[in-house]
Amino acid sequence: MAPATQFEVAQPPNDAISALVFAPDSSHRLLASSWDKNVYLYEVAADGSEEATLIKTYEHRAPVLDVCFGANKDEAFTAGLDHLVKRIDLTTGEQTILSKHNEPVRCVVYSPEHSILISASWDNTLHIHNTAASATPDTAPLTIQLPGKPHALAASPSKVVVAMTARLVHIYDLPTIAAALASSSTSPISPWQQRESSLKFLTRAVSCMPNDAGYATSSIEGRVAVEWFEDTAESQARKYAFKCHRQVAPDEDGGGDIVYPVNALAFHPVFGTFASGGGDGTVALWDAEAKRRMRQYQKFPDSVAALAFSNDGKFLAIGVCPGFETGMEDYTGEGRTKVFIRELSETEAKGKGSK
Amino acid sequence: MGKKKRGHPDVEEILSRPWCYYCERDFEDLKLLISHQKAKHFKCDRCGKRLNTAGGLSVHMNQVHKESLNSVENALPNRQGLDIEIFGMEGVPEDILQQHHQRIITNYYTAQAERHAATGNPPPGQSGSQGPTKKIKVETAEELKKRLAEHRARLAAQKAALANGTPLPVDGQSPGQVASPFPPPQGGFPYPPPGVPVVPSYSPVQAYPPSYPPGASPPPGAPGAFNLPARPPINAPPASSLPQRPPFFYTGPGATAPGYPASASTVDELVTGAARQGHGDDIDQLIRMAEAGIKPAKTGTPTEETPVDKKSKKEKNMRMVYGDSEVSPEEKLALLPRYRFIEV
Repeated sequence: MAPATQFEVAQPPNDAISALVFAPDSSHRLLASSWDKNVYLYEVAADGSEEATLIKTYEHRAPVLDVCFGANKDEAFTAGLDHLVKRIDLTTGEQTILSKHNEPVRCVVYSPEHSILISASWDNTLHIHNTAASATPDTAPLTIQLPGKPHALAASPSKVVVAMTARLVHIYDLPTIAAALASSSTSPISPWQQRESSLKFLTRAVSCMPNDAGYATSSIEGRVAVEWFEDTAESQARKYAFKCHRQVAPDEDGGGDIVYPVNALAFHPVFGTFASGGGDGTVALWDAEAKRRMRQYQKFPDSVAALAFSNDGKFLAIGVCPGFETGMEDYTGEGRTKVFIRELSETEAKGKGSK
Repeated sequence: MGKKKRGHPDVEEILSRPWCYYCERDFEDLKLLISHQKAKHFKCDRCGKRLNTAGGLSVHMNQVHKESLNSVENALPNRQGLDIEIFGMEGVPEDILQQHHQRIITNYYTAQAERHAATGNPPPGQSGSQGPTKKIKVETAEELKKRLAEHRARLAAQKAALANGTPLPVDGQSPGQVASPFPPPQGGFPYPPPGVPVVPSYSPVQAYPPSYPPGASPPPGAPGAFNLPARPPINAPPASSLPQRPPFFYTGPGATAPGYPASASTVDELVTGAARQGHGDDIDQLIRMAEAGIKPAKTGTPTEETPVDKKSKKEKNMRMVYGDSEVSPEEKLALLPRYRFIEV
């Protein structure tokens, strides 16, 4: 059994991390977006020397709230506080503005199956960009109006899940969106499914199962829900939620539980298990089928802000920075922001399957 | 009658088997138990090293793999904690031990009753659970009362004869003989025993008697315990004093109202009383019937009770580190001067 190792990235971002993502075609390329207005490209050493080095940084005008890879390891898209959705050529560093929202852009997600980029902004819209090479570069994106502010966005091979304020969850069908893009019709795209979040509190993260069967959501109230797309009674009866990322408060503080937000979720691309990262600075691995926690890693020095599995599931990147808590007047992640890379052993994230 | 069951170990044997705190499995001997624990509960899933205790595994994980162990593998949901140090049978909390014994005893008697039901071989003194398979001889309430009064008088006389004789709250009830899990010789008593037409409002009290001395008055709270049957008290005697059968109280033939609150007594009293009485008393039959009628109710209780306990523990106050359910932390950050974006 190969021993699992964990190491820290040499030059982490200077301020809080908003997102981490591995390249779709290389398990050694990692992007990190940060509140320090930069996107960082790291290369994880392939020789097992337990190093990850900074290759390049891409400066933006404003904090970058999300980043995702495009069709390959040389293309990335970013969501900025400056309302812009940008495409970055990672080799040349060239930045192209894809669209401009009326408010900061919270999330971007790319669907390699349909060559579609979706951005979600606090102006309550989704922008759908056709990034296929055949598409004319200057066409305006398709806009989908949302009933609430989006806070999390995730795509599976055929669906995209948008989690909004007021516990709204909309699921869009990607083939439908792709068809609408192709026909360039102006009729509004309606969601494939509209759901109410299974969690009572603000949604913090969404991640889709790699097998296209369902998704997991997490909330600010130390809870994770797992549900399935299929709209049958049996499938819907399978959904469940559980508490996590909590700590028992010492009795002198009145006892009870300290409940941390679950900031990040990531499904393992091979085993279909998932990791959750919380404000308590822990990362746990869960077996969604067996409904069991498989592992919980040693506490990180600060809140876990972002998680990402590499495409082969061999690495888990963990973004750590101070968490924003109720009552904070000021915030800075400076000096306390770190990126850890965990090299998983072969069976580490393998679930036991449902019993 | 009164013969050993073939192929079925007796309850003492089962109780003496070592068992695993984490998964409740029992083993032939302690060596097997320990190797089970090392393989199933204290094995490092990183390198396969088998440690002796959960604490040892935790230290190992920490030092060798730089990981923290939060729960014991393959353990029952409420037994995953690392706070209890278990090695073989050492370290098992007393209350868990008692619960385990209680469960074994319950299962044992349930299984016994099932066997009797299956073979159609009703055990001596047993009739309640069999329903109407056997004709029950009907005694009138008066006859029963008379018999009970006689018995009580006899018992009182015996008690008085003893140095530590103390008043026993016998109103509407009688202690019975429950010394052995196996029926005593019946002394040629006709079977079935004299039945009673009354509703058998027997209730199990505590599974194990509180450890006050025989003959002493029951604790004031004891009658109330009827609402929570079969929960072993924490201060129960250690397993070595087993086997003891949970005392069952019969509310007397005259007491026709179901649920009549008979006051509790101790097994010690029952046992000593029974010893003094000798075998073959009518009361024995009644007690055994009570026992038979009671079992189903008893079996359900442990499982019913645990979730209730958990629920009440869960009702804790909680403090959310981030409590705004309308505005996300990112939106708040975006408003801070440090990050705010002003279009030029």
